[in-house]
Amino acid sequence: MNRRHFLTAIGGLGLTGGSVLAVRGDFPNLFGESSSLPVRVETIDAPGSSAGEVTVPNAGSPTLIDLFATWCAPCKEQMDELSSVYEEYGDRVTFVSITNERLGDTLTERDIRGWWRRHHGAWAVGVDPNSDLMAALGAGGIPYHAIADASGTIRWQQAGLSTAETLRTELDRVLEAP
Amino acid sequence: MQRRTVLRAVSAAGVVGTAGCLGLGDSNPHVVLDEPDRDYASDELPYPAWGQRVPDVTLPDPISGDSFSTRSVEMPAVYTFFFSHCDTVCPVLIQSLRNVQTHAIEEEYADAVAFFPVTFDPERDDRERLETYAAEMNVALDAGNWHFLRPESVDRAKATVEEEFGVAFEKTRPEDMDTYMFVHAAMTYLVNADGYVERAYRTDTPDPERLIEDLRVVRNG
Repeated sequence: MNRRHFLTAIGGLGLTGGSVLAVRGDFPNLFGESSSLPVRVETIDAPGSSAGEVTVPNAGSPTLIDLFATWCAPCKEQMDELSSVYEEYGDRVTFVSITNERLGDTLTERDIRGWWRRHHGAWAVGVDPNSDLMAALGAGGIPYHAIADASGTIRWQQAGLSTAETLRTELDRVLEAP
Repeated sequence: MQRRTVLRAVSAAGVVGTAGCLGLGDSNPHVVLDEPDRDYASDELPYPAWGQRVPDVTLPDPISGDSFSTRSVEMPAVYTFFFSHCDTVCPVLIQSLRNVQTHAIEEEYADAVAFFPVTFDPERDDRERLETYAAEMNVALDAGNWHFLRPESVDRAKATVEEEFGVAFEKTRPEDMDTYMFVHAAMTYLVNADGYVERAYRTDTPDPERLIEDLRVVRNG
């Protein structure tokens, strides 16, 4: 059996589609490393964000976690959805957007700050170059969203573009939980 | 007795261990990394895997104008397979390599590793398109270690990417799009300086940290 025939035989196993969003969702950590929440993430100086560290999820309030990247086209659209939700929930929910892009000559902190400003970010934005947060959430792609309750337990997570309506529904569910 | 059968027998006897450290002749003089923990041997797989030679393929880099032969790279190399119009898996694969490239530049080993993303869409991925894509993905083309490889034709893409590297792809025509796309397997290879596969990461989300660590061991091996 040559390689091509074998591959045809295993067919659907390894093939991935090409017409959905820039995401693959809910994959287990394929390398078997244990990583768990919360994760400390470095934040950068940008509108609504200051240089330092945040703990994700935040303890004491619900947290909306947004995984993004500057090269990700749907992530730009996602910022509009997040911005409108932030206006309504920003006083009760901790918002944090994290990219796993590694900073260097071709992508600097200043570039992230510029992207953030262009897309009207107004909350904490951070970098996770080792993908610790992605691994802890089991996120296989971006955009990716998760909502944690005030105790830090993940109550909802979803791969792909999340509409403002969906985010409102899920945040309400967490905020209204006894 | 096949290796799989041996392992099963050993396992039944209560020996604790993994395929990589049982000491049953699983070492390979051509590679530095241990055999991955798995239930099968490389020669049972439909793609080049741990300890096997990288397929002997020569492909052009349309940006530099050079051609690269996989067995003549003479330094650790990372291969992945993509098409630039892909908006699902490929950006993640390319970004994983790009994150490793940035690490290599920052940690000053950029001249000790080569990156070869191979397109299987030569019809659209020409030099100009690949240059634009590199800029979008924040790839440092000027580092000199990143080479997009482009088979000269669709047939050549099939003959190399699918037949040699074992990465299946098939053209599709999504109803909601006015262009063609592909369904394809996701694969990233780490090949050592001698041209042997150290790791075949069969995942659409290769972990840059794992790649960086495996690459470090291979570079120092």
